[in-house]
Amino acid sequence: MSCAPVAARLVLLGWALLAAACASFTPNPPLAKYAPDAGYRFERLERGDNSDELFVIVTFSGGGTRAAALAYGVLEALRDTAIEWQGRRGALLDEVDVISSISGGSFPAAYYALRGGQIFDEFPDRFLYRPIQASLIKLALWPASWLKLAAPDFGRSDLAAELYHREVFGGATYADVIARNRRPFVILNATDMSTGSQFPFIQDQFDLMCSDLAGVSLARAAASSSAFPGGLTPLTFRNYAGSCQYRQPTWVQLAAEDHASRVNPRRTARAENRLSLAAEGPARPYIHLTDGGVADNIGLRGPLEAIASTSHPWSVLQMMNRQRVKKLVVLVVNAATSPATERDRSASVPGLIDTLTTAATVPLDNYSFDTVELLSKTMNELNTDARLVEGCNRLSARKGEQCALKLPAPHHVDLYPIQVAFEYIASREERAWFKNLPTTFELPRETIDRLRAIGRRLLSEDPQFQNLLKALNGCLAGSGKAC
Amino acid sequence: MEYVKVTYPTRRLVYIDEEENGYTNEVLRVEAGTHVFELGNLSNFRPASRKLTVRDTTVLEPLEIPFYRRQDE
Repeated sequence: MSCAPVAARLVLLGWALLAAACASFTPNPPLAKYAPDAGYRFERLERGDNSDELFVIVTFSGGGTRAAALAYGVLEALRDTAIEWQGRRGALLDEVDVISSISGGSFPAAYYALRGGQIFDEFPDRFLYRPIQASLIKLALWPASWLKLAAPDFGRSDLAAELYHREVFGGATYADVIARNRRPFVILNATDMSTGSQFPFIQDQFDLMCSDLAGVSLARAAASSSAFPGGLTPLTFRNYAGSCQYRQPTWVQLAAEDHASRVNPRRTARAENRLSLAAEGPARPYIHLTDGGVADNIGLRGPLEAIASTSHPWSVLQMMNRQRVKKLVVLVVNAATSPATERDRSASVPGLIDTLTTAATVPLDNYSFDTVELLSKTMNELNTDARLVEGCNRLSARKGEQCALKLPAPHHVDLYPIQVAFEYIASREERAWFKNLPTTFELPRETIDRLRAIGRRLLSEDPQFQNLLKALNGCLAGSGKAC
Repeated sequence: MEYVKVTYPTRRLVYIDEEENGYTNEVLRVEAGTHVFELGNLSNFRPASRKLTVRDTTVLEPLEIPFYRRQDE
């Protein structure tokens, strides 16, 4: 037997191993020095004509292309909603201040952060109607990809991020979003696998790791947010904590000191999470991020903290205390489904996959339900407190001037919690059709068109959205009313 | 939600945990927990800051946090 074929194989193997060794995740860059006045932060973005008085928060849930198309349909509807505010006629979309997104919803969110209004010309062909799922599978089956995937720190989501970087986001990084310098402040959310906490792609979070978000690609952020467990792998990020003279905000130490008194365990947990991530630099040099839906599948937890806490990187409560907000709109776009099952038609014991899928998805759905309930509770609390004071003042005044109280009330804000979700589709048949759509990165064109249309219709039918339109002398074009 | 009213003879900016948070003599909303309260602009007030744990307040009975003019002003 000749040595030549063996040698050729050895050379090939050597090349393959070398290629695998060279493949590695794209590292997030370090931050030379903590700079609270730079980077992707809410307060750094130009407001332009977007007023704080009408403060609009939009959340996009997870759910693959189903969620992306529903979110896109709502963006189109917001663009087509004409309002009158502060003596000007404009689009409600131009008043959106913050978008918080998860998984599939992160693709339109990131694209809007990057391209603004051009999303309506570009995004459908760049993402919605594109067979992303087929492209991902094809890419994973490509021999050159096997070599990359052989590297221990390079997974299927890294491959996906490369595809999104090239094909969807045109090589853009957060530096491009910062350069655009326009609201809304768009927050893509992933989940820190080790702590289970939400990981928002904003500079405030990257400060803890002494990393510069400006050097991170939007594709990598979107890939982290949508790294659906099982199908896609988690993504690795470097933690350089301790290397940039970072200083925690004042509230963090104060909240950590409350640990023993348990006065506010939620605030204390947020503080301790920040302290541990910033302190664990050498002990935890890598962070692994998985799908944002693991921590919160509707992207509402961050906005709820911002509304209820002065200890938040973009606290709405601070703005309310400063009387800058007059109307607060929270629009939740939720593409959750509840697929029909044949399980209970048979006495058979459900299989392992069925059981594991149930175990993975049911807690998420229940948590999402509680999160939406928490939004209602928070909004009610804000509504009730000012009304309670006004009521007391009125009642006491009726008892005569000598009894009249003049209790000061906290700043009054008009609140509009709006929900776009399939469960609000009136027709049972139509509702069932949407609630049985799969979670995938590829849907037929007609399904996507139906999702875009239902997003618009559900928005126009929401009672609080209708109240908002009345208050703003607005209308949504194409919803049966002339604008 | 908790409620505080930082009092001072005149209208001054209120800082909670070093962040601007409204004005004196108004009811402000805060999250339960320990906070540091300070006034803005001039430093003609005493004490320089107050560190307090805010809990169990209601909108009808906010925690009153008085600041005074400094005697040497």
